[in-house]
Order: sequence, then C-alpha cells, then structure tokens
Amino acid sequence: MIEVKNLTKVLPNGRKLLDGISFKVKKGEFVGILGPSGAGKTLTLRCLNGLLKPDSGEVIIDDELGIKHDICKVNKRELRHIRQRIGVIFQGYHLVKRLTALENVMIGRLGQINTFRSIIYGFTDEEAAEALKALEQVKIADLAGSKTGNLSGGEMQRVAIARAIFQSPTLLIADEPISNLDPSNAKTIMKLIRPLSEKIPVVGVFHQPEMTARYCSRVIAIKDGKVFYDGDPKLSNKKLAEIYGDELNLIEEREHMYMPNN
Amino acid sequence: MFKGYNLKRYRKYVLPLVILILVTEGASIVCKADFTSLEQGLLKGVSFIGFMFPPDWSAFGEMVQPAFQSIVIAFLGTVFGTLLAIVFALFAASNITNKWVRNITRFFIGLERSLPEIIIVLLLIAAFGLGPMAGILTLTLGCIGMIGKLLADVIEELDPVMMESMASVGANKLQVIIFGVLPQIMPNLISYTLFRFEINIRLSVILGAVGAGGIGYELDYSFGMLQYHRAFTALLVIIAMIFGTEHLSQRLRNKIKMEGALK
Amino acid sequence: MSIADSITLPSKKYKQRATIFSVSAVVISLTCIYMGFNPISFFTEFHYVRDLLGEMFPPNYHVITDDSSIPFSILQTLSMAFLGTLYGGAIAVVIAFLAALNTMPYRIIRVLSSITLSLLRVVPNLVVILIFVIAVGPGAFAGMLTLVISTIGTFGKLFREIIENCESPPGEAIYSVGASRVQVIKFSIIPQILPSLIANFLYAFDVNIRTAIGLGIFGGGGIGFALQMAKSVMHFKDVTALISLIIVLVFLVEKISDYLRRKILGEGKLK
Repeated sequence: MIEVKNLTKVLPNGRKLLDGISFKVKKGEFVGILGPSGAGKTLTLRCLNGLLKPDSGEVIIDDELGIKHDICKVNKRELRHIRQRIGVIFQGYHLVKRLTALENVMIGRLGQINTFRSIIYGFTDEEAAEALKALEQVKIADLAGSKTGNLSGGEMQRVAIARAIFQSPTLLIADEPISNLDPSNAKTIMKLIRPLSEKIPVVGVFHQPEMTARYCSRVIAIKDGKVFYDGDPKLSNKKLAEIYGDELNLIEEREHMYMPNN
Repeated sequence: MFKGYNLKRYRKYVLPLVILILVTEGASIVCKADFTSLEQGLLKGVSFIGFMFPPDWSAFGEMVQPAFQSIVIAFLGTVFGTLLAIVFALFAASNITNKWVRNITRFFIGLERSLPEIIIVLLLIAAFGLGPMAGILTLTLGCIGMIGKLLADVIEELDPVMMESMASVGANKLQVIIFGVLPQIMPNLISYTLFRFEINIRLSVILGAVGAGGIGYELDYSFGMLQYHRAFTALLVIIAMIFGTEHLSQRLRNKIKMEGALK
Repeated sequence: MSIADSITLPSKKYKQRATIFSVSAVVISLTCIYMGFNPISFFTEFHYVRDLLGEMFPPNYHVITDDSSIPFSILQTLSMAFLGTLYGGAIAVVIAFLAALNTMPYRIIRVLSSITLSLLRVVPNLVVILIFVIAVGPGAFAGMLTLVISTIGTFGKLFREIIENCESPPGEAIYSVGASRVQVIKFSIIPQILPSLIANFLYAFDVNIRTAIGLGIFGGGGIGFALQMAKSVMHFKDVTALISLIIVLVFLVEKISDYLRRKILGEGKLK
C-alpha cells in the first residue's frame, strides 16, 4: 500500500505547486492520475519515489518485508533500498539504448545486488533466466538479445514493464507511459500493466482519460495542485470539462480516435 | 570598358582587405620574412635533401627496434591516457558530479590542452630524466586533455531520463555509470582513442627527438653525428610508420562505424 | 529453445571480459617491462616533480618587463601562426581544388596533387623545420614556413573532402547555361564551401599557435624559443612565467577562434 499525506510544495513567489495532496492506494487498485498541464500530476508522481522532495508531507510505502518507510524523510541508503522494490516506467525512451533488452531488464535488480559483484562479475545466469521469464510475460522474449535502441516505442515500454516485474516490486509507478505510443501499442501496454495491479498498487500519470476510463480501477484528478476528484474512472463529459477546462478540446479529439474500435 | 561595370558592390570588401594586407605586412616584418632569401635558401634546402639521398640501406635493420619502441611508447601513452581520460571525463561532466568538482576538473583539462606537448615533455625530462617515462607521461597527459574533454561533452549530452530511470529502480551512482553511461559512450570512446593514437605516433617521434627515446632519437642522433644518409633512413622508417598506423586506424574506425550503425 | 540462441549468457560474457582483461594486462605489462617503464615509479619518484616545482615557483614575471624581447616574442609567435595559416591555408585550398574529383577532370593532376598532400601530411614537423633552418637560418621565418607546410598537410585533405562533398545541382545548373569550369567554381562551389573554409582557417590558427610555440623550441623563434633559452640556463622561474603567458595566449586565441567560428557556422562547430 502507498499512503500520500498532505504533499505541499511552494515556489519562492508563493505559488503553490502542490497543495495538500493526499490519497491512498491499496493492492488491487490501478489508479490513473489525470489533470491539465502544470497541475502537479508529474510533481506528485516524482514525490512518490523520491525524485522530488516536497516542502512538507509524507509518502509512506511498504518495503518487501512490510515495513513502512516515509520516502520524504529517508536517507540515501534507505531510499535506494526502497527503490529496489519500486517499479518505474517513464515516458519515451528511458532505457539504455546500447544494451540488450535482457540486460535492461536485469538492471531492475541492480539495487538488490551487491555493488561490487554487479560491477566486476555482472549478472548471474539464474538472474538472466528469470529476466527472460519476465520478458516472456510481456511477450517479447524473442527480442531479448536485441539492442534496446533498435526496438519500437511499444516494444521498449514492454521491456520497461518486464524490468518492473523482474524487481518483484511492492509498488509500480508510471509517468505518462503511453503518451508517446500509437493507439494500438497504447492499448497493449495498458493491457499488460493492469494485471500487475492484482498483487501491488499501481499509480500512473496519464493524459488519456479514455484509457484510464477503460483500464484503471480508480481515477484521481489533480488541478491547481489539489486533489480535485477521486473515484470512478468513468468520467462524464461535464466532469472532464471541469477538470481540464480549456484543454478539453484536445482531449476530445483523441477520444474519437479510440472509441470506434471497442 | 569598365563603364558598364558596377564596382560599388565590392566596396564592402575594401576595408577588410586593406586590414588584411596591413596585418600580413606587419606580421612578415615581425617574422623577418624575406622571400628573396627563401628563393636562394630553398635551393640550399632542396639540395640538402638531395644530399641526404640515398638512404643508408644497411641502417634499416637498426631502425626496427627504435621504431617499435616509438610505437610502444605511443601505445602505452594511449592506453594509460584513455583509462585516465574516462575517469577525468566523469569528473568533468555536470550530470555526474557537482558544479565545483566539474569546473575545477575542466579547468585542469583546459590547462593541459593549452600547453604544447614539447613543453610538457621538457619539464618532465627535467624532473625524471631522459627516457621513455617522460614520453609516456606526456602522451598520457595529452590523452587526458583531448579525450577527457571530448568524452565529458558527450557524457553531458546523455539523456538524463535514462539515468533517472536507472536511479529510480535502485541503482547507485557507480552502477548508473557502469551500466548506463559507459555503454552509451563506447562508440565515441573507441573513435577518439584511435584518432588520438594516430596523433600519439607522430608525437612519439618528435618527443623521442628531444630525449624520450625511440626512432625520433635515432633521427636526431644521426643528424647530430652528421650521418645524413642514416638520418634519411630513419626518416623513411618514420614515414612508413605513420602511414601504416594511419591506414590501420582508419580501417578500424570505419569498421566500428559500420557495426555501430547497424548492430 | 531458439530464444536462448539469440542471447549470450552472462557467465559467458563474464568469461569473455575476463579473458580480454587478462590478455590486455599481460600485453601492457610486457610492453612496460620491455620499455623499462615502471608506472609505480611515477609515485615513488614524485619528489623529483616536487623539487622541480620548487625551483619553478614563484614565477618570475619580471622577465617580461626586464627583457624587452618577450612581448616581441609573443608578437612573433602570433605572426608566425597568422602567416602560416594564411599562406598555408591558401595553398591548401588551391591544391585541394587540383585534387578534388569534381573540380579537376584530369586524373593525373588529381593523383599528383593527392600524393603531394599525403607526403606533406606525413613528414614530421621536426624534419621540415630542420630543412628550413638550413635554407633561411633559424628564427621565426623558418618557423613560419614550417607552419605553411604543416597547415597544407593537415588541412589539404580536409579541404578536398569539403569540395568533393559539395552539391552538384547548382554546378550542373550553371553548366547548362553554358558556363565554363572556372565560372562554375566561382559561383557554385565557392559559396558552398566558404563558411566551412573560414571556420577551418580559424581553427587552423588556433592549432598553429600551439604548433608555433612548439616549433620555437627547435629554433623557430617566438615565445617557444624564449622558453627554451630560459630552460637551457636553468632559469626555471622565468620558464614558469613564460608558461603562464603561453597558457593565457592559447586560451585567448582559442576563445576568440571559437567565438568567431560559432558566429560563422551557427551553433555547429567544425571538428
């Protein structure tokens, strides 16, 4: 479970980027975070794994032993320890292009391996076999030996999911994982992420309400740094308009792309 | 005849041209450039080359070892220099180290690049004496300067999201460097190293002439002993050496380029 | 399982790396022993460096004011580099035109020009300055002439490649209206190569400053020569002062050269 309490971040000029963001996500839930640009979605997500430190507030995550840690307050060593069990998927190309898909998956456990061993010896064959199984789970095991830079966007995100699976995580976060993908690949990725939420909480930032409506179990809308809505992923047009304001016409255009092929 | 010609459009070139001519004249005076003496002297110079002909064929055998030594000096200088250059480049990259370390490292790299290698080797000879050590050290420092700066620039251009992604799954800084940074800079590293090796072969010859050993020393020695035919032999061996390594290096670099693109 | 064929097991990769590492270590150790080079001695004998540094510091900047020839030396070095770049670059451009596929239709001239460029590139500066010292005596003039040859060698091939990489459609268009080869060169090729050429001239000046200083050691005049003089009489504090001057000089030239190049080429520097 991940518990976010009262995240606040204030700019020097007084503007509040994050204003008391609070929510809880349990295992079994696939939460999509929506909102207009600049609302604070990505900032919130980055607070979840320590890439950003809020001015105040708590983010409490369970590690593999069930012990709770507050990400905002841990030291470097503890942070690294927790991150071992947090799977991340970013937007675009964020894996190491010149390494193979298999190697990128194995990087997921770098935090769990002894540093010395990882550098001098590398990975073990057992780890490679397990990484291969993770790639099979996302159905690109045949690309295991290809350089990640040669893969398409959709294939690369599948490698990223495999990497997360390989970590045996207690939490999965995703920052706009499908924003750079065409609709067909986007659907594939969402279909692969959803089953993972059965065992662990999954939180993702999205710009595609039609996707969150179909695949997420819950939607949180963030507007002006505050939690504006927290509930049913299927949003009425009126609600969408309230959340997105002027940006709504951009969202609506995309809806037409997705809806026809139910 | 020029009446129809509009010469006015060349007006903007007049001033720069005048400045250029003035500067050239001034520079020629400062250098005591005297082209008539060049004409006379050129005859002397060219006849001197003819005087060095033919090479001393028997000396070829004696040149092999010193040539090999020069190559080895260049080789060792490149090897040690490249390894150290990677370390320096990491310290000189803003996305790896903090601002102070990065700027100080860049300063020292810039310092090294300002000094011609001749001066560095003379100082090292003054410190450590004649011999290959001064030469190898000089080439090492030269590598750190050139490859260090080039690599640091490459590292700074790396996609920060890639490194964030690795850190987010628990990798520590060292692991991010070994598994993320190094694989990405590898093609550049190999290309720069081969390029620098070509340069180092030439430097090895020149540094040898001032006392670092190898075939440069043989050339200088032969001249000193007025054995001009022997010197010419050494020169031919040097030319062959430089041609050979250049050719090899070009082929290797082309091979890497092809593989790097498709693989 | 066909998938397993496409990947190498980590243990095999480790064995590969271990082998490469061991072989390299052995080769390097053998070559070090062969040369009589002991890297460790750099640290054990470091006191020599400390001793030398002791003699070199504090730098004696009076050498600049006492000896009126030092500012003149700097001027000489700058002049050497300037003239060497100017003449050398100009000759390099001419030979490049003679050697380029698209400007010289006669194969024999192309081949001869290419050979000339290669020869000039391969002969070490050391030998060239020696010959010029014999021809015109030691000093900045010999140094400048060496720089001319050196510039032709370094940039001749580069200029030829630049010319050959020109786009031909403009040239073909000009041919089709009945122009001669020379006119094609003037109106099609020169505009295309001019920015790149100027940028390279600036870069050549940058490089030639450093080379000029180095040549000074061998009798080429300029500040390199002054440095060699100071060193030969063991005035190390003067040497340090001159070195700091050199660093400032090279730094300034590099910054100015970079700035001008960036202005001409936009943001993409050449080489």
